[in-house]
Amino acid sequence: MATLTESRPSEVTVSPSRIAWRFFLRNRTAVAGMLACVVFFVVAVLGLVLTKGESPVLNPRQVRLADKFKPPLSLPNPQAVPAEDLPRLGIYLLGTDDLGRDVFARMLEGAYVSLLVGFVAVGIAVAIGITLGGIAGYYGRVRIGVGRLRLMTWDTLIAGLIDVFLSFPSFFLILTVVAVLKPSIWNIMVVIGFTSWTGTARFVRAEILALREQDFVQAAHALGVPGPQIILRHLIPNAIAPVLVSATLGIAYAILTEAGLSFLGFGVPPPDATWGNILSDGKNFLFDASWLTVIPGTAILIVVLAFNLFGEGLREAFNPKLRQL
Amino acid sequence: MLSALLRIGWKKLWTLFFVSVISFAVIHLAPGQPSQIDPLNPRFTPEQLERYRKAFDLDLPYHVQYVRFYRKLFTGELRAFKDSQPVLPKIVERFWNSFPLFLVGTVLIWCYAFPLGIASAIRRNSLFDKVTTVIVFALISVPGFYLAYLLIIFVVQTFHVDVIGLRTFGREGVAAPLRLMDRTWHLVLPSVLGATAGIAVLSRYVRSQMLEVINSDYVRTARAKGLGEDTVLYKHALRNALLPFVTMLGLLVPALIGGSVIIETIFAWPGIGRLGYEAVLSRDYPIVISLNFIAAVLTLLGTLLSDVLYMVADPRIRLEAE
Repeated sequence: MATLTESRPSEVTVSPSRIAWRFFLRNRTAVAGMLACVVFFVVAVLGLVLTKGESPVLNPRQVRLADKFKPPLSLPNPQAVPAEDLPRLGIYLLGTDDLGRDVFARMLEGAYVSLLVGFVAVGIAVAIGITLGGIAGYYGRVRIGVGRLRLMTWDTLIAGLIDVFLSFPSFFLILTVVAVLKPSIWNIMVVIGFTSWTGTARFVRAEILALREQDFVQAAHALGVPGPQIILRHLIPNAIAPVLVSATLGIAYAILTEAGLSFLGFGVPPPDATWGNILSDGKNFLFDASWLTVIPGTAILIVVLAFNLFGEGLREAFNPKLRQL
Repeated sequence: MLSALLRIGWKKLWTLFFVSVISFAVIHLAPGQPSQIDPLNPRFTPEQLERYRKAFDLDLPYHVQYVRFYRKLFTGELRAFKDSQPVLPKIVERFWNSFPLFLVGTVLIWCYAFPLGIASAIRRNSLFDKVTTVIVFALISVPGFYLAYLLIIFVVQTFHVDVIGLRTFGREGVAAPLRLMDRTWHLVLPSVLGATAGIAVLSRYVRSQMLEVINSDYVRTARAKGLGEDTVLYKHALRNALLPFVTMLGLLVPALIGGSVIIETIFAWPGIGRLGYEAVLSRDYPIVISLNFIAAVLTLLGTLLSDVLYMVADPRIRLEAE
């Protein structure tokens, strides 16, 4: 990073993250991805506000059998549907499904639930990844063992654990665990989190290995700061870039995995709507009511694409080897 | 060379041990005591529990359970709940059904991912690079089954062919070329769909690997001494960029098996993924648990092979070992 300050004498201190950010802003697809992610956040928060509670503004669970399979932008039938059950907007923006539920309200609720699944799963994965990656990076050479017997180093153990998890077909392992446990939204989040930490752990380990020998870490060590505190207060904040990248990509992965589980009937169970289970319910009516498939399918595609492009842009911006042109 | 081989083998044995422990631990996630049975849970009744306890010897201590589980698996004593057939031959049979899918899928991945990634890297930030980046990420981001349905509708309506299953039902009497044609049509869609995510992910890795190499000092040196651009790119840069991908050969296996669950379910393909899904649906725990283990063992064999290949291909690894 020092070379950059030399080439720009006018700016004495440019932090590495500032440089990375500048590089990121030049990548237009990545910025578009980031903006789409922000829009998705807003939609998800709106979904939480508008569709939750005792009497939500837009009720995603209101069944109107008289108004089933209405295409998008069609008007409700006031003769057949009781006045209090009519959609608040006066129109079915995205149509209705096989039970006459408003797809627009369901998509709003689904945005919030899908994002929640992504966030909690990634939170778990990142927590495990940081812990194990931090231990492997900082205590890598310390041997562990039972009594006098020193079996292996921490690094060997954690690298081995990563190898083990990479060996399982993760989707099938997730399916197995969800099938053995009861399918609930929390089980799905936990299982996805517990099986997708390997990437974060590897990134964090590599980053900490490079940071460990630097002066500020040596100084902290010399001052007698305990190891866990060095990892948490000094090393992890400096290794946050790869964590951010893998978290962004992880949310995309979690949303897709939930959709795949929904397709097989092991996703988030009703009445909670997720984009995955709206899509997998909708595919049964592919020919009669194609909007029930196309709307959630395209929504998942766009949001996951946005997270992926955003994450990839961050990865390129934070990797000095890829940055120089 | 030999000592390095032994070290790799030793490491894989440890991994195999932990894989076997984790596969075994999955058994204990299900409620194991009668008191844990939830009367409202239709997935796990007292009768099923009895069968479950007997199949996995849940009354014995853990280490005895562990040994007995793997002994039963390999002696064929472990039988499926559904039809009381030994688990291992059943899995092997279904694996051979999936094998053409895996083979064609892998070939497709390698044939498309590398040219795409290399072309993107060489023409970085060109229109071609940007368009392929977006297309590749769209392929990573689309839910597999959504894409599958769109493709099935497209192919069936455009070419008027039958694509579900191994072959068209009731066409056994026709001539060999027609039969081959039929088999090929049935193979195309599931293997293409199985390969899309792989092509997309791998081509991104190839691209970033190639970019790193193009920016390195020895490529600059090669250019500086006046070599032609083609020689620089394909002889100096590409060879080094490709090296790490030898190790990814083995890691394709779990992705293919995991992905085959959804694809084989859509296409009614009687392979290993569908076997797993059917077993999950009917609570056939011996099959589910063995399948996780077998898939991990296949991956380990794949990574063992690619580690050895890596050692052959990269003299640095060889020399370091000696």
